[in-house]
Amino acid sequence: MNTEFQNTAPGSCFSRRHFLGSGAMSLGPIALASLLKKDGLAAAEVHTKPPLEKLEYDLRPKKSPKDPTAKAMISLFMGGGPSHLDLFDPKPLLEKYDGKTFPGTEEILYDNAGGASKEVMASPFKFQKYGKSGLEFSELVPWTAKIADDITVVRSMNLVNVRNHEGGMRAMTTGTNVQFRPNLGSWLSYGLGSETENLPAFVALVIGNNPPGSPFWNAGFLPSIYQGTHVREAEPRIMNLKPASHLAGKSQDLQLELLQKINRRHLAEHPGENDLQARIANYEVAARMQTAATEAFDLKKESEATRMLYGIHNAATKRMGEACLIARRLVERGVRYVQIWNYSWDLHENINAALPKLTMSTDQPSAAMVMDLKARGMLESTHVYWGGEMGRLPVIQSRGQNKKPGRDHNTFGFSIWLAGGGVKGGHAHGATDEFGLNAVEDIVHHYDYLATVMHMFGLDAEELTYRRGRREESILFNQPGKVVDGILA
Amino acid sequence: MNLKFLHIILPLLPVIAVGETAPLTFEKQVRPILKAHCFQCHGEEEEHRGKLDTRLQRFLLKGGESGPAVVPGVPEESRMFRYVRDGKMPKGDKKLTSDEVATIRDWIAGGAKTVRPEPESIGPGYLTEEERAHWAFQPVKKPNVPNPAGGNTPIDKFLLERLQKEGLNFSPQADQVALICRLYLDLIGLPPPPEEVDEFVADQRPDAYELLVERLLSSPHYGERWGRHWLDVAGYSDSEGYDDDDSLRPNAFRYRDFVVKSFNEDMPFDQFIREQLAGDEMVPMPYQDLKEDEIRKLTATGFLRMVPDGTGGRIPDQVLGRHEVMRATVKQVSSALLGLTVACAECHDHRYDPIPQDDYYRLRAIFEPAIDWKRWRNPSQRRVSLLTTDEIREAAEIEKQAQEVESVIQPKLVENQKFIFESELLTIPEELREQVKAAGLAFQAAAEENRITRKPIEMLSPENEKLLAKYPSLKVDTVESRILLFLSKYENKLKELTDFLADVRKRAADIRKTKPEENFVRALTETPGPVPQTYIFARGNRSQPGKVVTPGSLSVLSTDGPFELQSDAPNLPSTGRRLAYAEFLTRRSHPLTARVLVNRVWMHHFGRGIVASPSNFGTRGEKPTHPELLDWLAAEFMDKGWSMKHLHRLVVNSAAYRQSSSRHGEGQKIDSENVLYWRMPIRRLEAEAVRDTILAVSGTLNRLPFGAPVTVTPDANQQMVVGTDKPSPGGDENRRSIYVQRRRTSPAYVLEVFDEPLMEPICELRDSSTVAPQALLLMNSSFILEQADAFARRVIDEAEPDSRSRVIRAWRLAYGATPSDSDVEDMVQYLGKQFDLLKDKIKPMPKPAQVTTAMKKEGEPEMKEPDPPTPESKALASLCQVLLASNRLLYVH
Repeated sequence: MNTEFQNTAPGSCFSRRHFLGSGAMSLGPIALASLLKKDGLAAAEVHTKPPLEKLEYDLRPKKSPKDPTAKAMISLFMGGGPSHLDLFDPKPLLEKYDGKTFPGTEEILYDNAGGASKEVMASPFKFQKYGKSGLEFSELVPWTAKIADDITVVRSMNLVNVRNHEGGMRAMTTGTNVQFRPNLGSWLSYGLGSETENLPAFVALVIGNNPPGSPFWNAGFLPSIYQGTHVREAEPRIMNLKPASHLAGKSQDLQLELLQKINRRHLAEHPGENDLQARIANYEVAARMQTAATEAFDLKKESEATRMLYGIHNAATKRMGEACLIARRLVERGVRYVQIWNYSWDLHENINAALPKLTMSTDQPSAAMVMDLKARGMLESTHVYWGGEMGRLPVIQSRGQNKKPGRDHNTFGFSIWLAGGGVKGGHAHGATDEFGLNAVEDIVHHYDYLATVMHMFGLDAEELTYRRGRREESILFNQPGKVVDGILA
Repeated sequence: MNLKFLHIILPLLPVIAVGETAPLTFEKQVRPILKAHCFQCHGEEEEHRGKLDTRLQRFLLKGGESGPAVVPGVPEESRMFRYVRDGKMPKGDKKLTSDEVATIRDWIAGGAKTVRPEPESIGPGYLTEEERAHWAFQPVKKPNVPNPAGGNTPIDKFLLERLQKEGLNFSPQADQVALICRLYLDLIGLPPPPEEVDEFVADQRPDAYELLVERLLSSPHYGERWGRHWLDVAGYSDSEGYDDDDSLRPNAFRYRDFVVKSFNEDMPFDQFIREQLAGDEMVPMPYQDLKEDEIRKLTATGFLRMVPDGTGGRIPDQVLGRHEVMRATVKQVSSALLGLTVACAECHDHRYDPIPQDDYYRLRAIFEPAIDWKRWRNPSQRRVSLLTTDEIREAAEIEKQAQEVESVIQPKLVENQKFIFESELLTIPEELREQVKAAGLAFQAAAEENRITRKPIEMLSPENEKLLAKYPSLKVDTVESRILLFLSKYENKLKELTDFLADVRKRAADIRKTKPEENFVRALTETPGPVPQTYIFARGNRSQPGKVVTPGSLSVLSTDGPFELQSDAPNLPSTGRRLAYAEFLTRRSHPLTARVLVNRVWMHHFGRGIVASPSNFGTRGEKPTHPELLDWLAAEFMDKGWSMKHLHRLVVNSAAYRQSSSRHGEGQKIDSENVLYWRMPIRRLEAEAVRDTILAVSGTLNRLPFGAPVTVTPDANQQMVVGTDKPSPGGDENRRSIYVQRRRTSPAYVLEVFDEPLMEPICELRDSSTVAPQALLLMNSSFILEQADAFARRVIDEAEPDSRSRVIRAWRLAYGATPSDSDVEDMVQYLGKQFDLLKDKIKPMPKPAQVTTAMKKEGEPEMKEPDPPTPESKALASLCQVLLASNRLLYVH
């Protein structure tokens, strides 16, 4: 991002009154309409601006052009590729061919040729129907089974032209395999602003190592105020959040008051430098984050029952439980988009033992969060995503003689589950073929899903654009993303 | 006219000019679309799908299996048009845009014309005249300098001519204080001390400015500042990257030092490039008894050892890892020196730029002998030792002496063995003694043989084995640890032996310490032997090697005859491929090398390149805003011996550079993005300069140059800090950022948060973000608090003891300028209020006792204990922190 992404005409410089009155995160007035291209009123807005004057950007809340069903989103991003065949997409035919050569006529495209085989592996885990809807889940996700009637399982996910993790995660979170593009969270913050002035609009909470190819929470070419704020899984969740003991409180207030005085006087000498304005605003957010984020991360404020529900007492579920509970607390406080990254699902070997261990750590907290959101009346307006960037192949991958079998990548057909924000409950959408290899029915590409999310927020993925030189950029990047009506209530 | 400036890093989608008046032609408008979408299946691959080749207009008229693809004049009857319109083609999800479809329709409707008769046949590397005509592929010619009113230097003339056409002019010159701050930060990356500011402001000489420029260009800090810019291009890193192991590169720093020195010495840049690409090929093999300039040349090739290389660690696919090194190297070289993205030509002809797949592999072949995936050397095997023959001999001699000292150990062990054996024998029942003794001695003999020959032997007969199992204390060899164990019940003997061993070992170690230290250079070299073939990999798949290619340049860049190495240089021990290529790249006629370089230099001075995409001069990159100026600078740069400092003088001595950075209404109205340079832009300092400036202002900066990097470690809060949690006696943690370790997986937080780039494999263009963690770092981190304390101590030392003098001194140290009355007033008031708040929190402590010489550890430098904090000093420190955190400090104005 260039430092000069924003320019204003001279004379529109920041006065103290403006600064205090308009809220710290705003860099100037703008209606959402002027971010929208083409047509009607929106177009009229744009043309009233002189052609060389750039738009200004802010984080103030904006009304969606269409009635939204979702106001916030929590993405539980299970990087590495959870096996749909062992969790959400039962394939009885695999049992028939278990241990035999894959009988399909279709060529299996391996991503890791090492240890590739055509030997079919049935899921060792039992599937069963749950809830009024009778959605099927494997025995590994008993908690998810409890919320069967509140979620939609999409069984026909498919990535176009992507085979690997980095590309897949980019596709699922930015809309395309191309690098350096904005995350969905940045697009939503750009289009709709934030409902809070005390916390970032977009938070990325990372469990374990950063996923390969990180960070995925960058704003790309969007102005950097839309960048995700990285939160660590343990304290200090945000670096340097706590003031020095002798400065905490009034002393620091005094410091900030002087700092902003000096900064504003400096800005007056350089009117129209939006980068300087942004940095002034940035101190205001940071100052408020010290208390607001500390408070939001303080899980002791939750009741014992809630903490139990998320599994915080239990060593296995503690990390994911805390992350999910923090996500709910952040959304409750007005954060637009929280993405939890848990990159641990790339099970090329020993899937029979490793997968249960993983689901043990994630199943309860994920489902508990949906239950909790529902109980608090937040699920209606909060969209929840659970899934990764791929599934696994129905055949064995086993590297070397002493290795236990695993499964290779499958971006042609895999499952995710969704809840809230306008999504159907107790519904399965689409299907893979009888081996679970390819999505064949009601296929949902990554860009279709993102278009659907934008739709839930009352936005049109193609219409929300950012002008980048000669190009109008959108999250779809010229791909034919369609709203998936079938999953909407 | 489009003044819109594009901040674009990546080439994206084709931009199709619509509504042009000239008739559409195949070569100009249609071929680029077909090349991007259709050529691969219908042309490039041996088998044409549907027997249709789309690469020439007449092929389209002829058509494929289902008949003609194009019927001139009748779009509706042209299959090609119908297919793309209906989305039937291309297959897959990437369809043509509606503009592209319209272009095809209009072209057919207009008669499906070509510019000129088409060639008889086309080979795989076929390029059209239109493709070759791209501006960046034309030779650099030195244009005449225009002569508009005003301006002193050629740069000014070029810029003014353009500005005046738009009714604009340069802004007035910035004030003296702004100028000296700008020059300091830009040329050496540090702020000017107040005394220098005063001197400069008072300097009435007409060439005071130019003299200052000369002073800064000859400062040793210049190379640290501008060398750092080059390290971005090289992708400098102190670790191997590639995966989580990210092992350290203990010798990479010599390359960094080479870069800093080369900038300081103003090494002609063509030589600088040649040594980095092929320094090893200028040094005779074997690499022994190296002279100073030979060491430099080998060190320079460290450039080609900067990309991630995981092959020294445990990576899942070793061969893939080797190919990744090659792939990253091609990317590094092409982005850094050619300003082109060639990566996509690895799998197929470049979709947008005239780079056929063959060209990619010709480029690869230049590096194949040194980065040979079949005869691989991992990072530690590639090191070149700097020990001379004499030093090796000396080391061997010293080793011999040490071993001689140690030779008394074995007899001593034998002596103890005997003692143990004889003492223990007395504990055996008499009737068995002889038998056990024989067995024990047999064991000793076998053990001795085993010790000398180191071959496994049968130690004992089964009977003896059984016997000694019953009496294990008689099974005594001369292994030190066991002897010590046996001796544990003979305390005196044990003490005697341990003392003896410690003494001998210490003496041996002392002798070994005198060995010459072995240092290594991280270098790229070739090993003599068979030269590897380079194959074209079909679709980039290495399991499908196709035809063999010879090393060469990109064909579109060979403007004065192709560069092709027909046979490898016979008089060199290496192949000479890189040397030949380096010479080709630095020829006066090469269209890209100098243009790309001067553009980067311009970018660092003005915050934006004349070509805004510094590593993409291709058709998808940005067009130059001032093409003639770019060419003039490139030509002048080469004409004046590729002198970097000459180039800096041209730029910073111009009126354009000396302009004020303030905006004005007229400029805003006509060119709000300042594409035409009617003012100096304001920009944020890069991560390193932010940290270095804070250190310099606080007075803690340690200016020691060169050497092994300062480590980066986690502090108690898991924050990666420079140095360790505690200050080091030498103040290593306060060295300039260029000397701080750059480990790909664990960057120093203070640098990371200000957009220090991750090298993957290089950094083409830095980010400049504004995020809350930056504010939090400047508000609360231990780094900023420590610096603020030091800053306050400095102010107390340097200023009169009244508040007014102190705040003025602090302000001047931070910003060079004198504060306004209201700033002073605000700061003085602040100090009073803050003192009131802190006076109850900070209890005065007694002064620490002076450290006496007796208490001081040997070799430790004298450390002055700071006075204990008082409410007064802490209030001042909190003010100093505000000054360090403000926008004034973070920006170049």
